[in-house]
Amino acid sequence: MRRASLPRLGGIFLRVGNLTFGGGDPTMAALYAELVTTRGWLAAETYGLVYALARITPGTNVLAFCAGTAWEIAGWPGALMAVAAVTLPAAVLAVLLTLGFEAWKSNHLAMAAIAGVIAAAVGMVAAGAWQLLAPHLARERALRACIIAIGAFVASFSLGLSPVQVLAGAALLGAFWQAPNK
Amino acid sequence: MNPFLLYLLLLKATLTSFSGMASLPVVRHDLVETRRLVSDRQLNTAVAVGRAAPGPNGLYLVSVGYFVAGWPGAAAGSLALGTPAFLIVLLLRYLGRRANRPRVRSAIQAVTIAAAGLMVDAVVPLARDAFTGWVAIGIASGSFLFLTLTKRATIWVILAAALAGFVAALV
Repeated sequence: MRRASLPRLGGIFLRVGNLTFGGGDPTMAALYAELVTTRGWLAAETYGLVYALARITPGTNVLAFCAGTAWEIAGWPGALMAVAAVTLPAAVLAVLLTLGFEAWKSNHLAMAAIAGVIAAAVGMVAAGAWQLLAPHLARERALRACIIAIGAFVASFSLGLSPVQVLAGAALLGAFWQAPNK
Repeated sequence: MNPFLLYLLLLKATLTSFSGMASLPVVRHDLVETRRLVSDRQLNTAVAVGRAAPGPNGLYLVSVGYFVAGWPGAAAGSLALGTPAFLIVLLLRYLGRRANRPRVRSAIQAVTIAAAGLMVDAVVPLARDAFTGWVAIGIASGSFLFLTLTKRATIWVILAAALAGFVAALV
């Protein structure tokens, strides 16, 4: 493997992490091209291992993926730099957008536009729920997925269990009730 | 609120989720229902902000942090978003391929599916706040369909929703 310089590594995560729209998968694909194909800083097999482990790391998968690949290439300094490069510029932009929403509150027409965006946010959360569930609805896996999803909804909505309690119960159930192989 | 305590509350949400938005039910439970530090309207706004910005999913935590405690709160949100990512180093160093065992994967899969059910539960009060008329219901439905049926960026949904709200106010 070729050696990577920390500033160049940080620059790649800064560019790919903040300019790639479409979520985690396009970002991780772009990083494959940069880190494996173009620069040869990471073996394809290591990329695959990090990709798999990022899926089972709590939090945002793409951040775990960035931390993991950068750690493999440049140790802890690389991991810290990668997560900061991907998170901080977007976080500053998020605060500026929040300030914009707050500042426009007093304008009638701006408020109408913001109300439209807030209504769209409801659709985004619902779409997020669907995108979490849909990959698990293949025919032979659908029953298990529906029981867990509906069970979680009922446990929270009707029984008043906290989300952490529901998620802990789901983890326990999932450990002992595995989905049939595809 | 003390930004460190806010960080711990948001970290609890990110540590118990396996994708950016799946932390939302825990955030809503802790900050809207239990502590009443943010409203459903602010949480909705944070979701919209998080989806409007490029970068990782889960950025809404930064906006939520800002609503609770200003810039220090936003920093707490950013740290809570990034902190769990470093757990992958422990997985790589100490477990490697053993962490990828079927039982572990199955448990995580079940947590992800349960998070979907919890998100539906969280949508109910958010919708109650946002649905001020048929236009809002139409926008939310359109947003849901666009995001589930196409692979296009969320920014288009946000621009279209803002335009629809603006035009509806003029008519």
